[in-house]
Amino acid sequence: MRSPFAYVPRPRPLQAASPGAAVAYLGALVAVAFLYSSPPVLFAVGFAAALAGRLAGAGGAVRSAVRLGLAIALPIVIVNVLVVDRGETVLARLGEWPLLGQVDVTAEALADGAVFGLRAVVVMIAFAVYSSCVDPDRVLRALRPLAGRSALTATLVSRLVPVAAADAGRLRDAARLRGPGAAEAGRAPLARRLLAGSLDRAVDVAATLELRGYGLGPSARRRGQRRLPRSRFDRRFHLAAALVLAAAIAGKLAGADGFDAYPTVTVGLGASTVALAALVAASGLAPLRWPPARRQPRPVAPAPAPPPRGPAAAAPPTAADVETANV
Amino acid sequence: MSELAIRRGAAPALAIAGLGYSYPRAGAPALADVSLEISPGEFVLLAGRSASGKSTLLKAACGLVPHFHGGEVSGSVAVAGLDAIESGPGELASVVGYVAQDPETQVVSTTVAAEIALPLEMRGDSAPSSARAVEEVALALAIPHLLDRTVDSLSGGELQRVALAAALVTRPRLVLLDEPTSQLDPVAGDELIWLLRRLNEEWGVAVLLAEHRLERCLAAADRVVAMDAAAVVFDGSPGAFLAWAHEAEPALSTPASRLFSLAGVAPLPVGVRAARTLLEADGRRPRAPEVRAGREQPGPGTSQPALRARGVWVELSRDDESHDVLRGLDVSVARGERVALMGRNGAGKSTLLKSAAGLIEPVRGKLEAPAGIALLTQNPSDYLVRERVGDELPGAAGLAALRVVGLEHAVDADPRDLSGGERQRLALAIALAGQMEGEALPGLVALDEPTRGMDRTRKDELVALIGRLAERGAGVVVATHDVEFAAAFAERVVLLGDGAAIAAGPAREVLSGGWYFATEVARVLDLPGVITPEQGAAALREEAR
Repeated sequence: MRSPFAYVPRPRPLQAASPGAAVAYLGALVAVAFLYSSPPVLFAVGFAAALAGRLAGAGGAVRSAVRLGLAIALPIVIVNVLVVDRGETVLARLGEWPLLGQVDVTAEALADGAVFGLRAVVVMIAFAVYSSCVDPDRVLRALRPLAGRSALTATLVSRLVPVAAADAGRLRDAARLRGPGAAEAGRAPLARRLLAGSLDRAVDVAATLELRGYGLGPSARRRGQRRLPRSRFDRRFHLAAALVLAAAIAGKLAGADGFDAYPTVTVGLGASTVALAALVAASGLAPLRWPPARRQPRPVAPAPAPPPRGPAAAAPPTAADVETANV
Repeated sequence: MSELAIRRGAAPALAIAGLGYSYPRAGAPALADVSLEISPGEFVLLAGRSASGKSTLLKAACGLVPHFHGGEVSGSVAVAGLDAIESGPGELASVVGYVAQDPETQVVSTTVAAEIALPLEMRGDSAPSSARAVEEVALALAIPHLLDRTVDSLSGGELQRVALAAALVTRPRLVLLDEPTSQLDPVAGDELIWLLRRLNEEWGVAVLLAEHRLERCLAAADRVVAMDAAAVVFDGSPGAFLAWAHEAEPALSTPASRLFSLAGVAPLPVGVRAARTLLEADGRRPRAPEVRAGREQPGPGTSQPALRARGVWVELSRDDESHDVLRGLDVSVARGERVALMGRNGAGKSTLLKSAAGLIEPVRGKLEAPAGIALLTQNPSDYLVRERVGDELPGAAGLAALRVVGLEHAVDADPRDLSGGERQRLALAIALAGQMEGEALPGLVALDEPTRGMDRTRKDELVALIGRLAERGAGVVVATHDVEFAAAFAERVVLLGDGAAIAAGPAREVLSGGWYFATEVARVLDLPGVITPEQGAAALREEAR
């Protein structure tokens, strides 16, 4: 069974962009998520990443990322609420707990944990969009000249993850098919079996890499090293990334990151915060595929005169002719 | 040797002299004094039983042995003039391509185009020449429509073609294939063999092909090399091979050659066409025998149902979309009946069995196995998770299941020390355990592609086991691509196509009425109801009277 985060080639701008441009764009969104704690800005980043994913045809990956992100966010909130004893608005007093001492649930700790959780969800969405829209082969090809061994490891892992997932699915099926008189498969034996199988698989994949010439020295690869083809969408994503980062830095300087959890929750909603959030949210439109502009039909020209005969017919076109034709 | 000389084919495609090899910590050698030479453009079939050394020989020819596996090696191996013992698989990659049995572990990239281009990129080819080579090999293998797909969205047959394309893209002098058709249906298997023959003829690529189903590829081969116990025991023409196999190793003879030998017709035919030509030259026009299609004796206890499917629809998701894998399927199997479930890759065979076992929920229709089901999936090793047979199957129920499959003597063995056939029987015992009342079996025993990579001796053992299970009252359903195996065990064949039953009837009728899903004997004689060498020989003898 295929992972919801697996790369699927689609004829969309984000998939067509070179890996560098796509990484710059999604990386800028992730950078804003780490730079800011302001909930409006974090929501804007999440909205932008989700919109970008949706426009790139990765709606399923975004939905899975939201579910997974919420599953990660919830424990973050709970732990924050139990561990942090700051904040003035006490919602509940849970008494003395072993190791933790007096546990008071405060609205501020809850809000602080929620911001951490929101950041986790947002980052998860951005990674899901990256994973399902950026061709890993092109990323590895870009990495190979820079870090050959790391690229080899990444190649092995990127191939083994879906293979191990398929193996795990088969083992689960076989465990369900055991007769009631057979010993229960058990988690530990299954995990051991999966690990042993994965090692065997890794050996097979490594053998295939050897056969494809991975064992050749870097000199052979460098000889044929080529620039990855650029896409006409690259400029758009680089521009979006630069705009988002520039606005984030400017916003930071202008005090757009107005969020404090303690002693009481304050959320800044100044003009700079709103402007930054709006710009970040709008950056989610970068993968939009608009239809190619239609050209105005040319006026019908009168029928050309019959070609001249004689030596003049063979004369090469002048520069002025070429320029006229290009207009 | 210069690259020019290698390209021009001055050297043999493969030259092996006195090769001996032992895997690390192995008791017995995997190859013993093997000598073999393959000329440029030759198509050589490598025959032999399981564990005879075929795969190791192929790995030695592409440099994986000893470079990747280690171990002790003696003798010499040269591929297109390059010393394979000195050079590693990477250096040999431009002169030899290798395609293994399991296509899933032979792909390392995400998309098909990147997978095929990888060897060229590693070699340092320029972008334009790489793009052209990828395009040409994709056209040659009829897969240009797959170039933009991801490898995990491909079927087994498509994946095998992609692996072959990656092996051929560097225009190697020699291509090595280790049972490439074992996971393919008869149609895809035949296509692959004839594709290899075409590439061999048009591109001049030498082919060394290891296979168990010899009837599928013998006619395409120029020469046959047979191995036994790590050594080459025969090297000659396909015709001479059949004569040798008839005397020395009957397990390697083809159905058509067994037909001729039982009927006393000589010489033994290399393929269907040769067999028909020989029979016509001999003036033989056999008639259909008395036992006709549709008059098959029903199996014991046919009144008790083992499997009932009525209007079953099953939907599975693929590439973010849902697909109907079973479309209103109607099929039933009685207890004591032996049924072969056949059809192309993706026809819905495995899905039907998994649905019957409760692993997949049908979206519509009624599917039930009223007296229980024991399903053995395609990889028996998935059932084996402990280090002792007795720990997998404890108590009286476990021992009873082991007794059914004839493994009661192996209670203290480590499953990894069992042979392939024994591991398969152990996995079946695990599926059966506790489902039997005393010695009575569950109503349905289902096996999914149990003959992958099996030689004929092991297939015969499996036929006998299926017979014993049916005699003890279980309905046995086997999903298989192996037409000859189906002819050997099945009373009835259900042929699936695109999720529905397109043909169902006695094995003699279904397996003699087509081309791809017909036995070799059926294709030679074209007589209704004649599918095995014994039946064919009887028809030929009848005609001679």
